[in-house]
Amino acid sequence: MKLILKIFIVILSFCFLSCGKMRNVNLYEPSKSVSTFEKFPYKILFTESDENGLWGLKNNKCKHISFENTKNYIGKDHLYINWDASKCNYVAVGLKWSNYKVKNLEPIIESSAIELRVRIDSGEISNVPMFFVLSDYGGKQCRANINYLNLEGGKIDTVWRKILIPLQAFNYKKRDVNMSNIKELRLEFQRKGDLHIDNIRIVEHTHDFQKTKETSVKVFDTWPIKLGIGKEHWWGINTKYSSNLQFGESFKNESVLVDIKKSTKDDWNTFGFSPYGWKRVNISSIFSTSAIKFKIKADKIPKIQAFMFSYKGEKRMIQKILNNSNFINKGNGIYEAYLPLKSLIDFQKFRWDELKEIRFKILEEAHFEIGEFQLIEFRGNPKKPTQWKGI
Amino acid sequence: MERNINILFFLVINFISTITSYSQVSRVEVTTNSSGNFELHRNGIPYYIKGAGAKDHFDLLVNSGANSIRVWSTNNKSLLDSAYNHGLTVTLGLHVRPERSGMDYNDEYAVKGQIEFLKNEVLKYKDHPALLVWGIGNEVDLKYSNFKVWETIEILAKFIKEVDPNHPTMTVIAGVDPSKVFYIKKYCPSIDILGINVYGSIEKAGINLRKFNWDKPYIVSEWGVNGPFEARKTSWKAKIEPPNGLKADQRQRRYKDLIEKDKEICLGSYCFLWGQKQESTATWHGMFLSNGNPTEAVDVMQFCWTGKWPESRAPSIKDISLENVGWKKDHILAPSTQATLKIEFSKYNNTEVIVEYVLYPEAFSDKIGGDIQKSPDPLNFEILNQNDNELTFVTPKSKGAYRMFAFVKNKRGQSSVANIPFLVK
Repeated sequence: MKLILKIFIVILSFCFLSCGKMRNVNLYEPSKSVSTFEKFPYKILFTESDENGLWGLKNNKCKHISFENTKNYIGKDHLYINWDASKCNYVAVGLKWSNYKVKNLEPIIESSAIELRVRIDSGEISNVPMFFVLSDYGGKQCRANINYLNLEGGKIDTVWRKILIPLQAFNYKKRDVNMSNIKELRLEFQRKGDLHIDNIRIVEHTHDFQKTKETSVKVFDTWPIKLGIGKEHWWGINTKYSSNLQFGESFKNESVLVDIKKSTKDDWNTFGFSPYGWKRVNISSIFSTSAIKFKIKADKIPKIQAFMFSYKGEKRMIQKILNNSNFINKGNGIYEAYLPLKSLIDFQKFRWDELKEIRFKILEEAHFEIGEFQLIEFRGNPKKPTQWKGI
Repeated sequence: MERNINILFFLVINFISTITSYSQVSRVEVTTNSSGNFELHRNGIPYYIKGAGAKDHFDLLVNSGANSIRVWSTNNKSLLDSAYNHGLTVTLGLHVRPERSGMDYNDEYAVKGQIEFLKNEVLKYKDHPALLVWGIGNEVDLKYSNFKVWETIEILAKFIKEVDPNHPTMTVIAGVDPSKVFYIKKYCPSIDILGINVYGSIEKAGINLRKFNWDKPYIVSEWGVNGPFEARKTSWKAKIEPPNGLKADQRQRRYKDLIEKDKEICLGSYCFLWGQKQESTATWHGMFLSNGNPTEAVDVMQFCWTGKWPESRAPSIKDISLENVGWKKDHILAPSTQATLKIEFSKYNNTEVIVEYVLYPEAFSDKIGGDIQKSPDPLNFEILNQNDNELTFVTPKSKGAYRMFAFVKNKRGQSSVANIPFLVK
């Protein structure tokens, strides 16, 4: 027992002693990007002409390229290009980048940038019409340009200035470029200019910028949807210039009081509103089983024309003149109107994922109030809008 | 002796005061007059903009009665200096990249980089004595889908309010539209003036701004004849351009009946384009030819700005036809056949005119919004007979789309031009 106790104490002592000698280690492994950056073998793209790592050096009417051997940043010479793209579709220089070996940039995308040095012969500029293009072996290309935030001193002048193009800045996701299979880097030039370029390489770089969320679209996929909430989303009503159209109060939500006399010759006979805050409204999943419902307070049914507008598409406006079949007389001078979206002429050609505006034009002398606009479910015959039992 | 000293003293004082006033920043503000109409005031004096989108021909611009130019970006300081030396003010554009050029307004890096760059440009130019109004962005709304661009416009306008209290802010949109007016009203409160680029849509621009509840002033920042994007096309998609004479009449009516009459909220205008550019054709918007000769549109603008026609007027082509078929119709011809082109023009007070014809391949382009287009080179063709009003020529032997231009000029080079597209097949 004593022996066991002694052995235990010795082991414990060793443990304590060894604890004191333990080296510090991080809780986590060193960041993958740092180690992968160090492992990335193709860090040099251009330092001097001897590397023979360029193509597109042949001079033509749009570009003059030379290797200049004075005032280099590194090596025995540097690249000088003078271009005028007004007479050419394409002005570019390509970097073979380690003789076209396959470059896997994926592990270093978040931690690396292309760095280069540039200068001009005189003056000062802060913008060069120049793009950086990465090409993969599938022929796909992504682009990035010079960002003021990564232009040293915010300008290009007669001293060598550092430019960084973070790999994250390339639009490789949008262009579906395979960043693990990169072939080359191209420098593309637009308009006209001249530039000295030297020391193009891959460097470590942290890119602290995010892509923000899309906020311009509103998707609706269920009913009912109240339309045109908020007077600021309406137009056509401005009592400083015309009393033909005014906001009314007879209905829930926004309504318009229409008072158009035959003698009135102005064209204040149209109003419109955004379905939802002037966003690009997407009702593509429900449009075919939807109708616009609204109410009218009038002595008789007015003659009105309904329009829908989209932000995009070949056919950006569709319309229909409403007739008696669109209305149900609810008594006391109230009519309910139903306008199935499939009853609008050419509705198939309309971009229902880009809905912009609903508009009404009053076609003849009229006095009525119109409001309580909604998008409702409608599964009836579009030609018989008031006869579906579901309404 | 004393008289000479007095004269010398007066000249010195005058010189010093001139130099001093030239080196001062102009104080420009939007205000309302006793009638409740918006007015632009420059150094306390009402300033109605009689302007042009222009980069050169400043002497002729000033002689024609203009007082301001609009430029679209800050990439050429010498333009401001030159404008200043000619006594012209400048609406200076801050080039906010439109989405259609590849800018992604969800890309925080690109957005912040652009903002910082443009803030720096504001600091560079805010004290330039020619500066009249800041034009923050041009047609950023054209074919856009991300409305966050208005955040960038507001950040820049707000920055200008902080660093430059002397110059109003304007953003320029392509055509008038209720959604754009809503976004600018709601998200760009630091914008003082709405700039509208309107061609065909100028006809209803004033009333539409009121319908869309725009409650600040506006400047017609680009206007002219209907643009190529509004033109009828031939069956082979070539855009049909009206002759210069008809375009001149349209310009004059639009200025007199639409721009000049809206004293309530319009602060003035910039005609497009006091220069030359390729936009579907080389002659569509430009008021000068590529050789620098002024067209009759220049005369029209002098009449609009001063109420007087120039003593020497350009001739004016009123009509053009090919094989006795008018310019509005399709013209399809066989290869290597004889064809006759006719023009009708007014000489005005010119005793002699020179008529020239030039053949070009059709310059199809899908570029929009004034984006840069390349000009085609002229083609050789065989002329069989030519007089002042008629050209008989041999159509090209190669099938394809072409456009024949007719130029009529006086001894001073003042010109009128018309063209007619035709298809050889």
